[in-house]
Amino acid sequence: MAMIQAPGQERHLRSGSLVLPALFFVAVFLFAPLALILRYSFDRYDPLTLMQGVFTVENYVKAVTDPFYRNVLLTTGNISALSTLVVMLLAFPVAYYISRVESPRLRGWLMILTVLPLLLGNAVRSAAWMIVMGTNGVANSFLQAIGLIAEPIKILYTPTAVVIALVSVLLPFAVITLQSVMDSIPTSLEEASKSLGHSPLRTVVSVVLPLAMPGVAASAAICFALAMNAYATPVLIGGPTMQMMGPVVYGEIAKANNWPFGSTLAGILMAVTLILTILSTRLLSRRYF
Amino acid sequence: MSSVTLTNIRKNYGELAAVDNVSLEIREGELLALLGPSGCGKTTTLRMIAGFVAPTAGTIRFGDREVTTVPVHKRNVGMVFQGYALFPHLSVAKNIEFGLRVRSMDKERKAKRVAEMLRWVQLDSMADRSPRALSGGQQQRVALARAMAIEPDVLLLDEPFSALDAKLRAQLRKEIRDLQQDAGITSVFVTHDQEEAMAIADRIGVMNQGKLEQVGSAHDLYKRPASRFVAGFIGKCNLVEGRVTGEGRFETSNGRALRFSGTRALGPAALCFRPEHASLGEQVSPQANSLPVTIRSVTSLGPLTEFECVTDNGEILLVTAASGDVGLTPAAGKKLSLNWLLDESFVVE
Amino acid sequence: MPRFSPGRYAFSLLVALIFVFLLGPLLVIIWASFFADKILVFPPSGYTLNWFVRAWGMDEFADGFLLSLQVAAFATVISLALGVPAALAIERFSFPGRETIRQCLLSPMYVPAIVAGAAVYIYYIQVEILSGFQLASTFTGLVLAHSLIALPWTMRLVCASLVTANTTSEEAARSLGANAIQTFFLVTLPIIRPGIIASAMFSFIASFSDLEKSLFLIGPGKTTLPIAIVNYLEWSLDPTISAVATVQIFIIGAGLLISDRFVKLGKAF
Repeated sequence: MAMIQAPGQERHLRSGSLVLPALFFVAVFLFAPLALILRYSFDRYDPLTLMQGVFTVENYVKAVTDPFYRNVLLTTGNISALSTLVVMLLAFPVAYYISRVESPRLRGWLMILTVLPLLLGNAVRSAAWMIVMGTNGVANSFLQAIGLIAEPIKILYTPTAVVIALVSVLLPFAVITLQSVMDSIPTSLEEASKSLGHSPLRTVVSVVLPLAMPGVAASAAICFALAMNAYATPVLIGGPTMQMMGPVVYGEIAKANNWPFGSTLAGILMAVTLILTILSTRLLSRRYF
Repeated sequence: MSSVTLTNIRKNYGELAAVDNVSLEIREGELLALLGPSGCGKTTTLRMIAGFVAPTAGTIRFGDREVTTVPVHKRNVGMVFQGYALFPHLSVAKNIEFGLRVRSMDKERKAKRVAEMLRWVQLDSMADRSPRALSGGQQQRVALARAMAIEPDVLLLDEPFSALDAKLRAQLRKEIRDLQQDAGITSVFVTHDQEEAMAIADRIGVMNQGKLEQVGSAHDLYKRPASRFVAGFIGKCNLVEGRVTGEGRFETSNGRALRFSGTRALGPAALCFRPEHASLGEQVSPQANSLPVTIRSVTSLGPLTEFECVTDNGEILLVTAASGDVGLTPAAGKKLSLNWLLDESFVVE
Repeated sequence: MPRFSPGRYAFSLLVALIFVFLLGPLLVIIWASFFADKILVFPPSGYTLNWFVRAWGMDEFADGFLLSLQVAAFATVISLALGVPAALAIERFSFPGRETIRQCLLSPMYVPAIVAGAAVYIYYIQVEILSGFQLASTFTGLVLAHSLIALPWTMRLVCASLVTANTTSEEAARSLGANAIQTFFLVTLPIIRPGIIASAMFSFIASFSDLEKSLFLIGPGKTTLPIAIVNYLEWSLDPTISAVATVQIFIIGAGLLISDRFVKLGKAF
């Protein structure tokens, strides 16, 4: 007599077999590697064998005490913070506009235009900014043409340039996150505010902003994480003198072969990103609507 | 406090006229209801008075002040929204204080006013609560207090009772009416519920497909409807098609002679009377209008009984009578005379 | 808003300017790819299509383009093969740990590219040391890493498609006697087809435009298009690179337009 399997078990078996390949794949190709670099970050570098197989926290200590690396951390932090601040200032009006636009067609188009640059990849976008900000680029040619400057000014390879380029990289993410938050704020609240005498601008400050705050904070957290992890932008727009975490991690691991230390830096990036991601998810769920 | 005057107001959306040439004067201190089915333009009209929608043509005045192009935040209207639109991030007291923030008032006066308003709607104990902790009826009172705190020229209410259950509705509409009369503020409210409009409004403006069909007291609209639509919308109405043939004379489309009171131009029209003013009998009374009918069905509505009858012209007429009055209940198929008084007859287009 | 007041006008202008900031550089680079001068100067003296021809003649770009295409194609297939069944299981069945598994499958999206790239690289080399099986610098290794990038996109889009799809048709099919497999192919699949096509497109785009992971995993003498672009840019800036970038923009743009015919892109976000 064959055992009749309970329906529940059978279903688990079926759903298990559907989901297992993907899960296995992610475990093998993402989780295992991440666990590995976590382990290596506690190891010590050896020029000959690459690693000695010990367990030590000296890499982490070095990351925060060594003046060079501390500088890298600080530069990354500052540039990310500044970029985040600027991008939030720009994303807020755009997100508000898209959220309140009346024609669905226009809204759809604006969303596509916002997302398009994201999908083109950072290489192309950085290339585009180099052409705009270069010595013979659009910006310089334009400023010279209208007589504001006599000679080309150095825009490319400055921290300012990196911030500008990062802001444009972050903008689509910020707009998308903010816009869905704005969508959840009913327009009747804005109408009520205006009927009570608050001007449209004041309404945004007294009603929309407070209600959107958790979304703004969540968006800022995500933007900061993205800025911190940037590679192409600091390399191409910042030039060799700009030392940010992304390029330094690449250098340590692929060029210097100092896997333990490279893993440490990658580990720091991963940890901060994780914290910010969790923070932003929490903030997004704590909404009024 | 001002009166509100709408002159030739029109709102077009492309080809569609959502509001078609509406002129209306709302008197100082009165509560006017804009009544009509959905899509008739009543909400659009209200929103034009508030300033959320700009009229395509026409003018709006608050008293002597022309406000047609004045933006919302400068109009000094108080509005109660359909979902109340209370600010969730502010307490009840802060909600009420919201409109006062932009007026030059010192802190003390503002606090006094807020306390006054809370007392007026009897929510003193709720000052520091969050709006989400309140019941529907309480939220509505906060919305009202918030709107009135700024001492508006006009109070506007957009289907204020639709979110509430029937019992609460009846109670709250009386409360709102009392508060409105107490404050003496010119008010307009929008509703699709005729019972509500008739219960509390001083006057009712009936709208249909963008047009204002008639404005008047509930009594006027009931007794002397100006159009077919109003006749059918306010209570039930029987219509007999035909033409006006002379002074007070009407001829049905199959040649029967009827009479009515009042003057009317000659030509095609419909003679109306209410089912509650009709009766069925063997005899034809000389003072009354009368038509021979066959009873089609009899429905008991508890205290009332409704008779559905067919004329020899194929028209359906209804008669409603108190169940106690009906003696031997006429059965379906019986041929009788449907009578109604001349005074209760009126003619519409 | 009732009418166009000056305030509203200024606001629209501000938003328009921000869009110019966002999209301007891309338009500039497309424009620059047609410039006649050898060095990039504005305004150009004339226009030409030569740079596209030149770029195609340069090995790194032609090879990079082909490699990117191939990797993206394979990565898309793997992403769909893994992601579609997983999405089905997650949306149509309930089992313990469902939500956790969902987050796990979406997690590659949240791991920074540079961190994941470094981790996978080290991992591959370690695997090679332990087993002799080489993955780093191989096509297979690259494809597998790119599949990782693509998988969350498939998960997201197919799950979204399943959520909005009506289960009543599936239930009707079952009640009429179809078994699970028949139901899937005859009923469910056509319903989620737009989601699958969109997933394919987004997986392709995500893989094609990846930079950081490819940097670590590319073999000597090989390159992907984004890497080729970055390498070139580290040394010089001329219309050739604009032409290459323009090609990438158009490929991805075309991918989006094709996607849009099948799925309303707004829903993915």
